[in-house]
Amino acid sequence: MNPRAPWHPWGMLAPTLALLFVFFLAPIGVAAYTSLFSWDLLTPPHYVGGANYAALAAHGELLAIALRTLGYSAIVVAGTMALGLGLALLVQRPGRVFAFVRASVFSAYVVSWVAVALLWMWMLDGHGGIVASLLPHVGGAPIALFGDPRFALPTLALIGVWKLTGYAMILFLAGLQGVPASLHEAARLDGAGPWARFRYVTLPLLLPTAAFVATTSLVTSFQAFDIVRIITQGGPARSTELFVYAIYEQIFLDLSVGRASALTTVFFVLLLAVAALQLRAWRGRVEQPSAHGRARPRGLS
Amino acid sequence: MGRSTRFHVTNSVRSSPVRPSRRDLLWACAACFASTATGATSCRPQSRPLREDGRIVVTFWYAFGDLVRKVLLEAVARFNASQSRIVVKAVHQGDYFESLAKLRTAVAAGAAPTLSHVVLEVLPYLARAGVLEPLDAYEGAQTMPFLAPLAQEGSFDGGDARLYGIPFNRSTPIVYANARMLDAAGVRLPTTWDELERTAQVLTVRGSDTRWGYEVPISWWYWVALVGQAGGSLVAPDGAVTLGGAAGEDALALWQRLVNADRVMRPPPGRDYQAWQSTNESFLQERIAMMWSSTAFVRYLENNARFPVVAGPLPGRDRKSVPTGGTNFVLMRSAPDEEKQAGWEFVRFMCEDNQVALWSTRTGYLPTTRTAAAQLAESGYYRLHPNDRVALDQLVHVTPWPWAPELFRIERDIVEPILEDAVLTGRDPRAALDQARADARVPA
Repeated sequence: MNPRAPWHPWGMLAPTLALLFVFFLAPIGVAAYTSLFSWDLLTPPHYVGGANYAALAAHGELLAIALRTLGYSAIVVAGTMALGLGLALLVQRPGRVFAFVRASVFSAYVVSWVAVALLWMWMLDGHGGIVASLLPHVGGAPIALFGDPRFALPTLALIGVWKLTGYAMILFLAGLQGVPASLHEAARLDGAGPWARFRYVTLPLLLPTAAFVATTSLVTSFQAFDIVRIITQGGPARSTELFVYAIYEQIFLDLSVGRASALTTVFFVLLLAVAALQLRAWRGRVEQPSAHGRARPRGLS
Repeated sequence: MGRSTRFHVTNSVRSSPVRPSRRDLLWACAACFASTATGATSCRPQSRPLREDGRIVVTFWYAFGDLVRKVLLEAVARFNASQSRIVVKAVHQGDYFESLAKLRTAVAAGAAPTLSHVVLEVLPYLARAGVLEPLDAYEGAQTMPFLAPLAQEGSFDGGDARLYGIPFNRSTPIVYANARMLDAAGVRLPTTWDELERTAQVLTVRGSDTRWGYEVPISWWYWVALVGQAGGSLVAPDGAVTLGGAAGEDALALWQRLVNADRVMRPPPGRDYQAWQSTNESFLQERIAMMWSSTAFVRYLENNARFPVVAGPLPGRDRKSVPTGGTNFVLMRSAPDEEKQAGWEFVRFMCEDNQVALWSTRTGYLPTTRTAAAQLAESGYYRLHPNDRVALDQLVHVTPWPWAPELFRIERDIVEPILEDAVLTGRDPRAALDQARADARVPA
């Protein structure tokens, strides 16, 4: 179908482009510009060039925040994908029991982050939490997971895994529906066992789903804020200060708009780079065009 | 044809059931955007006061929860019932720092309230930014009989000669202890740092469910108390940020010993007021024997403890020293004059002796005026409630805050994170504070 006038496609795209520009591109541009100023919102801004970036880079603070966020995301993405896929394979069966299990696992995903954070904060509290109360009965010592800089971040990440696994499971279940039974039958006739069928039939066909789950989990984990705000407020000793929380702290608690904008700019570039790398890696694995122009699982070549 | 008419006609010709067309939805979206834009313009600073039933509306942003919030709302209700010209609308805005963040962004957006209350450390910064109303010319502002260390003049060293803040909920840190545990261990409240360490050791009971001898939030206010006790000051007379010099390092080293070497103190989890709340809860659950907290919690702790609570002054080392805390009332400069005048009347009402006495006895905060304090003393209140008197008696040891616009940034952005980091990781106090001093020299 050809447009009646050359501008028609742009006209159709205009509302979306306008929204994208107003709510995404323009704010990022404004943040990049503001990052060159020292500004507290109340007094006039003054130009400082790259001083905000230098201040953040001093003492390794910026690098620490980036590494912390990447570490948190790595645990969340890997844990969510592994558990989500494992559970999907386990509960991909008919029957009420499996339906109940599927619903139960997915229910964590629909609960708000605030409720999840409060729930785990209560359960893992070093003094009165259920886990701390039970540990002495099984020979362990109570441990304040959120009060120890070594454990706080991994604990938050595992809570993230707990919440997002249901979402990944549902997506993998949907992906599993798209694996033709005929391929499994053919593989079985060729003498392939359960592991070989999973490895060479199921897994390659699930790659597009896995790419989607990985990307959405990555974006969600990079946006982690509520859980940090409620449980640890970035502590102890800044060990859970992730990017979004650091931005919030700079702009709303310290009212340093320039530094918050510098963090936002770096965060945007980092997220863009990680997402691009991830998509590129997955695309390389997923797109193996066959003679028919369809994606062909590498395992069946 | 007007847009609303068009919408109506479009619907009227549609067969039942009525379903909005895509065009209708687009018009509705446009209407939403337009109404939002109209609403946004209404947030601009008003030159005329808000009125409700003919009464001037004073919007008052406050930052209290639980008992103190209840007491404040009762006071607001009393004021509103006491006259018919002004109505104060109290709006809860989270804790001190959340409220302050909202206040500053509201000022920037031209949507500030008439009245609020802010922590002392931020007053010089807000005054320099020109967002606070100078109060000197308001009726009675110069003659209110505030206790000297609590009035703006006594709360700060040097600075702006104009009056911006009126003491509202004012406090000092004090020691709280479980009297039963003290008696069982045969110890008294410590009066020196050495005694603090020894007493904390005696009171600590190790086991599967450790009882800690002592706890204090690892935060700025308590560190400042220790710095003063060790003979230091945050800012030198020439304005250089020293953070107490060696005294600041000694204060940090004391916490490190208590947590890491003596293992008699648990650093409470969370930051800011979450850590304060956690400390209070541990105390009430008898998991700690002694703590430092604000006098603001006297009533809350006494009402909720299943054991007798005894309070005492902070110990000293080179000298006795405490900072004052809490907040001051501030009027926002951007509010219409009539609203500011009305807000001032509410502030004066809250500074009347009866209101001050009621506020103090219901919460534990200090009575801010000499006359209210004398009234409470004469009524025999302090004989019945000796814990309430501790902070009042401690006022003779108050070290004023420096009037430094950078003070709040130094507190929040520089010192606060370093304290927790040094205590939990055992970092060298001198290196930690050297870094803080260097950071303080770099403008934000």
